[in-house]
Amino acid sequence: MELPEFSVESLKMLLVVGALTLTANWVGYGISPLDAAPGIGLVVAIGFVSLVLGRVLPLDLPSFAYAMVIAFLLAIPFSPVQGQVLAMTEQIDFLATTTPILAYAGLSIGLQTTRMKEVSWKLVLVAVLVFFGTYFGSALISHLVLAAQGII
Amino acid sequence: MPSEDSESRWAPIRTAGRVTAHAKTHLTVLLIVVGAELIGTQTFAVGPGQVVLLPMLFAVVVGVLVSYSVLGQYVAPLRKIVTEEVSRISSPMLVIALMPLGVKYGMMVGPSFSELVQAGPAFVLQEFGNLGTILIALPFALVLGLKREAIGGAVSIAREPTLGVITDKYGIESPEGRGVLGTYLTGTVLGTVFFGLLGGFAPATGLHPLALSMACGMGSASMMTACSSSLAEAVSAVPEDQLLSFAATSNLLTGVTGLYMVLFIGLPVITRLYGVLEPVIGRGDPEPDADAVRDAGGD
Repeated sequence: MELPEFSVESLKMLLVVGALTLTANWVGYGISPLDAAPGIGLVVAIGFVSLVLGRVLPLDLPSFAYAMVIAFLLAIPFSPVQGQVLAMTEQIDFLATTTPILAYAGLSIGLQTTRMKEVSWKLVLVAVLVFFGTYFGSALISHLVLAAQGII
Repeated sequence: MPSEDSESRWAPIRTAGRVTAHAKTHLTVLLIVVGAELIGTQTFAVGPGQVVLLPMLFAVVVGVLVSYSVLGQYVAPLRKIVTEEVSRISSPMLVIALMPLGVKYGMMVGPSFSELVQAGPAFVLQEFGNLGTILIALPFALVLGLKREAIGGAVSIAREPTLGVITDKYGIESPEGRGVLGTYLTGTVLGTVFFGLLGGFAPATGLHPLALSMACGMGSASMMTACSSSLAEAVSAVPEDQLLSFAATSNLLTGVTGLYMVLFIGLPVITRLYGVLEPVIGRGDPEPDADAVRDAGGD
């Protein structure tokens, strides 16, 4: 898909995601879509730039990382627009953004379930141990370092 | 061939002539989202910890269940609505649906910039914690009788960068390739639910919530989100925004360093350790290849 077509199609899809997020925000957290609309507008704009950057830049970073970094730069204490952007996105509950993601994720996992049947139970057990090992390995180191620094 | 790659990857979002398939997809998601949000967050205590069930967990479980390859296989009317095409469209949609979350994370991380810089050393050093998996999972895999699959399976939590390194080095059809694919697929299918439950329960270990939140960043945005949101729900001593932004920052860092960790540290360490441990605790098999084939092809 060439860049111009990608831009148009991804913008359409961003608007769909925006509408889904507004709905989740309304149903789950009681925030009126009217109040949240400016924030979603900002999300669509940043999201669009990030998706295009993910395609154009040769850095091999996911567009998710670009979205995070752009929003981060707008919201750091030295940013002249910090107040405005935070006020806009405050109207979007964090958890409301996660439900559409995981709904799409669940549906797309449907493509993998048949391949999953080919994975032996031994490898699944190993994977679960890997999850535990990674998680508690990192948590233990963080805990020790934060404690040594006196942060916790 | 990046152009071919992105062609097949993004083609499903094309709407021309495919309005019905798109309508089915997004309406299915809308129904799942509304249902999940109506149920809302459910929390209950189990033993020393808490089980936190967030709307996103309901969303992923229902999403998998209604797929063409799961319940759709048995329920014909469902298969007509949630078609295979719905799952194909959902795959790139996932990348787009991550944008609001990415923005939200950036907006949380920005204001807590100075606290993050303060915690810099911990952020960097905990990246090595991801190697903890080798020490735990490799011996276990060998005891189970796995051979070189153990190298691919246990080297790291195997998100996309690891999958890339291992398949590049050994090939996807090799035992190492089958191992890494096993961990990758297990993470894709079970990871969110697993870490969503673990995040709520982890404070019972007595480790500090900030350390637990940093550990949530493992290179997968959805696993990290499930993990840190459940953690934030279960913990009241540390502000929610701080926990979420620590997790998101750690995840971003893992995204950047993960590839090098595996390539320069994880893989050399695990191959050496394999050489030492395999003769000692590995289960002798005159034909390791036959064993490997049986394990991969399975039942």
